[in-house]
Amino acid sequence: MATEALRSQVGKKWQDSFARLNHGEPGISGLMTFSQASAWVLLTDFVRPRDLNDPAPPNEYNMELVKYAFDLVSQCRRLPAMLEAYLDDVRQYFYLIKRDVDQYMEQYETSLDPEIISRLVYRLFKWFNAWLPISDLGQTIRAAYTLDFQTQLFAILPPSFVSGFKAYCASTLPPFDPDVTQRTLSGEIWDIFEILGLLDRYESVIASVGYEHIETYVLSTCTGKWEAAMLPELRNWMSHKIVPWMLMMYARGAATNDDAVAMLASVGSRFDFHMTKTLCDLRTREIFDIIIDFPESAPALEDLKECLQRVDQRAALVKSLRKANHKRLLHPGADTKLILSQYVATIKCMRIIDPPGVLLFKVADPIRRYLRDRPDTIRSIVANLVGDEDTGDSLVDDNEPPQPLHQIEIEDYSDPNWEPEPIDAGPNFRANKHTDVLGTLVSIYDSNDLFIKELQILLAQRLLAITDGNTEKVERERRNIEILKIRFGESALQVCEVMLKDMTDSKRIDGHVQSQMASIVHPTIISKHFWPMLGSDEIIMPGQFQTFQEQYAKEFSTFKPDKRLRWLPHLGAVHLELLLEDRTLEVDVPPLEAAFIELFSEKNVWSIDELMTRVGPISKGAALKALLTWVDKGVLKEEGDGSFKLLEVAETVKPVDPAPIVEEQKPTVFPAQQHQAEQMRVYWKFIEGMLTNLTALPLERIQAMLHFAPGYDQTIEQLSAFMDAARREKLVDVREGLWRLTTKA
Amino acid sequence: MKVNVKSWHAVAQWQWDTGNDQDDDPEGDVCGICRVAYEGCCPTCKVPGDDCPLIWGECSHVFHMHCLLKWISTSSSKQQCPMDRRTWVTAERKVGGSKT
Ligand SMILES: [Zn+2]
Ligand SMILES: [Zn+2]
Ligand SMILES: [Zn+2]
Repeated sequence: MATEALRSQVGKKWQDSFARLNHGEPGISGLMTFSQASAWVLLTDFVRPRDLNDPAPPNEYNMELVKYAFDLVSQCRRLPAMLEAYLDDVRQYFYLIKRDVDQYMEQYETSLDPEIISRLVYRLFKWFNAWLPISDLGQTIRAAYTLDFQTQLFAILPPSFVSGFKAYCASTLPPFDPDVTQRTLSGEIWDIFEILGLLDRYESVIASVGYEHIETYVLSTCTGKWEAAMLPELRNWMSHKIVPWMLMMYARGAATNDDAVAMLASVGSRFDFHMTKTLCDLRTREIFDIIIDFPESAPALEDLKECLQRVDQRAALVKSLRKANHKRLLHPGADTKLILSQYVATIKCMRIIDPPGVLLFKVADPIRRYLRDRPDTIRSIVANLVGDEDTGDSLVDDNEPPQPLHQIEIEDYSDPNWEPEPIDAGPNFRANKHTDVLGTLVSIYDSNDLFIKELQILLAQRLLAITDGNTEKVERERRNIEILKIRFGESALQVCEVMLKDMTDSKRIDGHVQSQMASIVHPTIISKHFWPMLGSDEIIMPGQFQTFQEQYAKEFSTFKPDKRLRWLPHLGAVHLELLLEDRTLEVDVPPLEAAFIELFSEKNVWSIDELMTRVGPISKGAALKALLTWVDKGVLKEEGDGSFKLLEVAETVKPVDPAPIVEEQKPTVFPAQQHQAEQMRVYWKFIEGMLTNLTALPLERIQAMLHFAPGYDQTIEQLSAFMDAARREKLVDVREGLWRLTTKA
Repeated sequence: MKVNVKSWHAVAQWQWDTGNDQDDDPEGDVCGICRVAYEGCCPTCKVPGDDCPLIWGECSHVFHMHCLLKWISTSSSKQQCPMDRRTWVTAERKVGGSKT
């Protein structure tokens, strides 16, 4: 504080100095009328901060006199004292500025309009300039002033200024909504920011504005969009929208293009990294669904691959996918077929992302262990190998050349293409670059034998299901087996060879037999030890069936004198025509059904036990099932006493009207308790998207990100009220200040 | 009701008519030389049936033809049936002979 005591003390020192300076030389005696004390007073008065809001015009000064006074003070080495006194004044009068700042900030806090921040900054600049000592007083004093002004300023800026400043910076970014015109980029205000020291002080705030903007853009443009590569589009956006902004922000001083490039190099690379990381994180979170969508989602995988080369997130990707697999795939409710096809898709996807296979190895392990414990895995794989007709889609690509299984996997170090294992490969990692998808599936098990056995059973079932002697179908099975031979080896599939040969032989034999004696029987004659056991419920075919069998067997033995036929009556299918009193029915049924209905042509009512004694050792369950087939067809009717009656005349069954299913349309629940909340509904989608992608966010962050939404103008308090309402509606939930979506059950 | 069988896709196994009705004795119908079922095939063959036929001896023993020929061609066989050491004489097959 420049107290009176200090002033008089300074005045005395001043006189001493002046006398010492003068050494009795008379040269400046003309000026002596301007006393040293007056010089001090004039100067301190001249530099004293004035109130901009004071309507009185500023004092006029004789600049020559001011300059002279300054020199005088300077010569007396009283400049430091002068400066200190001046800076004291600045501090003392800073309340004037604070008054202004408070006024602007109050306005801002109610309107949240970043324009007010800009006006405040211009106003501060005006204060700064008004108090800035004239350049004649030298750079030292100006530098000291600037530093002091900044320090004072930072001390009085309220915390809300930071968010306001941030909002202002954000408002200078290119808006996502093409209809919203971008604020014209003015370099001037950035210069002012710099002069006021705001750029240095809030450097991280500015960077975070850029980061958040990039994040929001990446999330809003790339979430769920997997059918196209997004990286080129994002880079394009960066160079057209973000780089101009960065130029203004970080390279205003650049004289040439090269200068600007050099100045942007570091920050540009950080922004590019952030963009890449955001996309990488997003795709990492989405990876499970991307795999489901494969191959349509292949471009997203290419993007991810590129991202992973820049951002080291491989471990995070493995973790995310393992977690998703555990939660969504490896549970009892999931169909084995689905697990297999997702596993195969995973294999293909991971190969795109990481050709050496380290990621796949880490992700696959739990899936493989889970599949190994499922009883129907082998059956599912084999069904797929032989081309599952139900679904039509095969796990194994047709265009993937089949390869023999169990190649010797010894590293060949003399191979010029040999590469060391990737560094994040674990100790158990086995590069299986030579193995195809099927090989990978089969290798879930230690031995191929189980597969071969299952393959035989499945082939047998499929061959015996060919009831119409369709050679086309047999040929297709033959081609399948040919391909499988390459994988499993010729000898392993020899048995299948014989089965296929039996099919052709049967057809040839039947041709001969029919030429000798037309028969409605067209048997498949199998080689006993080459077909798997196909059920053991042997039955005795009654009535005319017996005759058909005997006639055919006789004719067969005439053709093949050293062989005879042993019927397996429980296998095959019968095409029947039932002539009833009022109707004729044509049906394809299994042999047991045929046997039963043949018995009903003897008499109309049978007990189930009676029927069973006629057809031989079958289970009651099997008998009942066969009888119910006829009940369903309206041919038999179940009597109360466990017997069945033939319906020579069909019974009319009243069709039962299905009860109309009334489903109440529940209105979509939205917190709409007040007008503001009503307005917020528009932004709910935005919030929901944010929380879906970023899981949990503090309120401030949500508010900041909502500023990117076109037209958003709610205060944080309004947002807070809305979020609370949403919480009561159980849409969101808050823990430790972090909001998240409630997980849907 | 009348049941018309329009067509019947039946399934049957073929069996050699060995002349011995040993249908129900699984041990009975194996080749005495290779111990493989008659309806299987000899160790050198891959396909059963007509490609690996049986041979009947006068002594009533039956073998895979390939097994017996191989045996007979060894010097230790002395051209005898390996089961009963009687000189091997191939029986004339009676067409449809011993069928029941
Ligand atoms: Zn043999
Ligand atoms: Zn043979
Ligand atoms: Zn003998």
